[in-house]
Amino acid sequence: MFNYILKRVAQSGLVLLVVGLVAFSMFRFVGDPIDNMLGQERTVEDVERLRTELGLDLPFIVQYGRFLGDAVQGNFGVSYRQGRPVSDIIIERAPATLELAVVSAFLAISIGIILGVFTAIRRDGWLASVIMTTSLIGVSLPTFLIGIVLIYIFSVDLGWLPSFGRGEVVQVGFWSTGFLTKSGWLALILPAITLGLYQMTLIMRLVRSEMLEVLRQDYVRFARARGLSERVVHFRHALKNTLVPVITVTGLQLGSIIAFAIITESVFQWPGLGLLFINAIQFVDIPVMAAYLMLISVMFVTINLVVDLLYVFIDPRLREGGL
Amino acid sequence: MFNLTLPERLDRILKSDFLWRLSRSPVAILSLLVVTLLVLGAVFAPWIAPFDPYDSASLDLMNGFTAPLTENDFTGQQFLLGTDDQGRDVLSTILYGMRISLFVGFASVLFAMVLGISLGLIAGYLGGWVDTIIMRIADVQLTFPSILVAMLIFGIAKGVMPAEYRDQMAIWVLIIAIGLSDWVQFARVVRGATLVEKNREYVMAAQLIGQPTPIIMWRHILPNVLSPVLVIATISLALAIIAEATLSFLGVGAPPTQPSLGTLIRIGQGFMFSGEWWILLFPALTLLALALSVNLLGDWLRDTLNPKLR
Amino acid sequence: MKGITLTALALALATSTHATTLKWAGTTDPQTMDPHAVISAPVLGFLNNVYEGLVRRGKDMAIEPALASSWEPIGNGEGWRFNLRKGVTFHDGATFNADDVVFSYLRASSEAADTKGWFAPISEVKKVDDYTVDFFTKAPNPIFPDSIANWMIMDEEWSKSVGATVPSKEEGNAATLQTNGTGVYALKKRQPGLETTLTRHNDWWGEDVGNITEATFTPIKNPATAVAALLAGNVDMINPVPIQDAARLEQNSQVKVHKGIEARVIMLGFAQQAEVLKYGADKGKANPFLNVKVREAVAKAISVPAILRTIMRGNAEPASQLVSPAMRGFSEAYAERPSFDVKGAKSLLAEAGYPNGFSFGLKCPNDRYLNDEAVCQAVTSMLAKVGIKAELDAMPVRTYWPELRKDNFDMYLLGWSPGTFDHEHPVRFLASTPNSEKKLGSWNFGDYSNARIDELLPMIQSEIDDTKRQAMLDEVTGIYQSEHAYVPLYIQPLVWGTGKNVTLVQRPDNFFILRWASVN
Repeated sequence: MFNYILKRVAQSGLVLLVVGLVAFSMFRFVGDPIDNMLGQERTVEDVERLRTELGLDLPFIVQYGRFLGDAVQGNFGVSYRQGRPVSDIIIERAPATLELAVVSAFLAISIGIILGVFTAIRRDGWLASVIMTTSLIGVSLPTFLIGIVLIYIFSVDLGWLPSFGRGEVVQVGFWSTGFLTKSGWLALILPAITLGLYQMTLIMRLVRSEMLEVLRQDYVRFARARGLSERVVHFRHALKNTLVPVITVTGLQLGSIIAFAIITESVFQWPGLGLLFINAIQFVDIPVMAAYLMLISVMFVTINLVVDLLYVFIDPRLREGGL
Repeated sequence: MFNLTLPERLDRILKSDFLWRLSRSPVAILSLLVVTLLVLGAVFAPWIAPFDPYDSASLDLMNGFTAPLTENDFTGQQFLLGTDDQGRDVLSTILYGMRISLFVGFASVLFAMVLGISLGLIAGYLGGWVDTIIMRIADVQLTFPSILVAMLIFGIAKGVMPAEYRDQMAIWVLIIAIGLSDWVQFARVVRGATLVEKNREYVMAAQLIGQPTPIIMWRHILPNVLSPVLVIATISLALAIIAEATLSFLGVGAPPTQPSLGTLIRIGQGFMFSGEWWILLFPALTLLALALSVNLLGDWLRDTLNPKLR
Repeated sequence: MKGITLTALALALATSTHATTLKWAGTTDPQTMDPHAVISAPVLGFLNNVYEGLVRRGKDMAIEPALASSWEPIGNGEGWRFNLRKGVTFHDGATFNADDVVFSYLRASSEAADTKGWFAPISEVKKVDDYTVDFFTKAPNPIFPDSIANWMIMDEEWSKSVGATVPSKEEGNAATLQTNGTGVYALKKRQPGLETTLTRHNDWWGEDVGNITEATFTPIKNPATAVAALLAGNVDMINPVPIQDAARLEQNSQVKVHKGIEARVIMLGFAQQAEVLKYGADKGKANPFLNVKVREAVAKAISVPAILRTIMRGNAEPASQLVSPAMRGFSEAYAERPSFDVKGAKSLLAEAGYPNGFSFGLKCPNDRYLNDEAVCQAVTSMLAKVGIKAELDAMPVRTYWPELRKDNFDMYLLGWSPGTFDHEHPVRFLASTPNSEKKLGSWNFGDYSNARIDELLPMIQSEIDDTKRQAMLDEVTGIYQSEHAYVPLYIQPLVWGTGKNVTLVQRPDNFFILRWASVN
């Protein structure tokens, strides 16, 4: 058991190294940071001088080695664009993305489960079919378009909600939160819906199919035969048993929520990590791109690791197996 | 049941109550109809489209921003769905754009399917370190969200490929990028099924009589995972078409000289506040119709074939 | 809509009767608060509200006194003497004097400073007394005061105490995030990439100030989001308004559109030295653009009026030369641009030996100039009509400049805005034979070269007599125009949007000067 965990952790470390290598090898193709750092009146010498100072003239593998060496010590370098430590920038931006991700995940899960249960219980009802069909509209249009259409309707046309940004934020230690102000909550609504729509559809469908599966099982039939009310059958027995796969999938989806936040954040000018990443690409801010990708990787690999380990605890067969 | 070959299995699906069920579902019929129509429109675009949007010599900039079914002030020409900023007929760009979107969609799903199925079969059947390596690669793949994977590949390809191939290359890069971000699902389903099937007696029997491994995997295991693969493929198709559109927004999609539906939508959203609603609306509706129908078909397939999908 | 406006109004009334705030948005965040680190419009434009130079530009772009109350030439073109303004204080309360000027000169001309090119003509800077400074030039330099309008003065003591004696782009230093200027606004809060807040510096020396006491800048990258923010009343001003939206916004009673002409000329450039074509079906064949007739044919084949009408929606003006008519040294004698003439273009191509045209590669940025990609597409289809087929390769600037530097193009699109507002600027950067030692032609990617222009440039730079100077500039214009070194297309429009209650002044350099803005 301990060996297995050790092996999995080592593998995860290897995964991170590979991800870092791939990401790093990409940067030289993204563009040249120099032009963005120097103005109109730069000379060829300025370009060469800056390139040497940044170490961009070194072989790629040396650059990667340096980056890893620094990253292990928690130093992600200085942003080419902003001229300050990347770690500071990430800490500053993370709360916005995490709050957005949490709220949209919450929306996706709660609405997803409710609608999923409903459509499973009323499998053949007309309302259930309508929900099933309309929910697909949300995944049949690209996220950016949904965001823009929402802005058009709710900000420009109706004037109910702000069109961009986080509203007023309150600083709690290093964490800037939008949860404590009314404008913060108002600003959250549209981005959270845009971001959560896809996951909501996914969770709703998953809950529905799991429910249908469970409702066919023998113990549910027995429960019904014992004369328990439909309500108890649905919620005490059926829903409880569908939750395990739902939680697993949601966990795995958390990462993609953060990834898709890139698009939502750039449509709503949401000051989070996704926007930071998009701007970093635009300005070829290599230290920021590298740190962001590593951060995302660490997160995904950790989620993966945890899910895998949980499985081992749950399923004793895997514990003895040849994994 | 378990030792049917692939064609037999397909045959069985078709001969079962499949068609009967289809006839009972108006939504599925409608979706199938829409998809068929759109695919036909895309395939025959060069014959149906009133103009060739790729022929830059035929474009007249003065035709730009002509509203649907109105006469252009300068040239007097009329266009059914209007024109865009370059004076291109919107209907024609949609038909040609659909060609690209569908091509990217189908090709990338095919690519993901072939890759995923092969790796899944190999991982599940051989097990051991091969399995470990493949599934860890799958982890890396999952680690990188699909759009990031696509952006990475696109960036690298743009840097590596000689510039003169870039325009033609963009579409192939999209296919590979979207396909690569999608194979893991197929691999996981196939691997799971393989793990279950490989210990069954009929496979052992096949091994005993000396059938070569690839044939065992191909003939005996694959037919059993056909239903989930079909469902994943359908849903992936819709996802791939949307993914292409999303990538266009991030500036890594099909080039504007050969626009896909996604590129058209990206261009069109720039005219949302300027009054030329048709440049955005028609491509967006087409994309919606296409992706929604494919999704509905996928849904119906899932329910009909009832595979154990996670 | 109404509800929110009313609440906002009520809030504004409740909190203070004096505080007037303005929120504005642009596409790009100024990457640094250091006035000497980077020469870029977002940085200089923003910092013009915080720092001041010895001279500044007025509403009409004319040079006027700022931290120098007057200046005069020394001797016979040996340099310039600046008499400094007394009683000016920095935001931290320190007094401004000659030491700060000398320090700022040393800082701005140091190796790590982007601005060092501005001081290339300077041989020495001498403090005469606390309020007089002499700038000696290597040669007579009539435009020196004009060329330093964006050179901003920093406080010597402050810069030293925070450890920012030289600018640092790579590592950043205190001056990257903090400021201490003499301008009308002081930096209150800086969150790079997110939000920057300025607040009024009450001890400012000058008058002519609007009523804005606090201003917040937010970068909004997606143009549609910015327009939505303006329409929804979430910001008071956006720059730019996407050109296509200008007409619609003008009809909206909630907003105002401010239109003008920018200093930037958009043009096409050619590979002028390459032996062979690098792209397209004719790759490897002799480069047709070496022939002036082919270049002229390109100029004639492009219908600038059509581009202006559709893509620019009637908001831009055609360009005849490398500068717009508003710039100093514009050549009236050559204000005519070749007319749109498909037949003429075809016959020129035939004369040049390309009756059936040819195929080549056109490079274009897609995130640098207003609607740049659409313009290139239009150019492509216009050129196709005379038989030359352009293979368009559009890319973001982050890869565009490196490609141009590597000479990976047959034809390319370029925009140029002269930092000095003088015709000499583009002649130096675009029309001179590239020479890295003399810092000439550094943006002349196509390696256009003409010996007479190279000969005239130093003479223009040191000519004090305006008539003689203009005669030489006319000659230069005549040469590059007849050789079709570039094909100038149009002058980029300037389109800002504000709420109905905002008044402001739009300067052709696209700088938003807060001092001139008011919210009523």
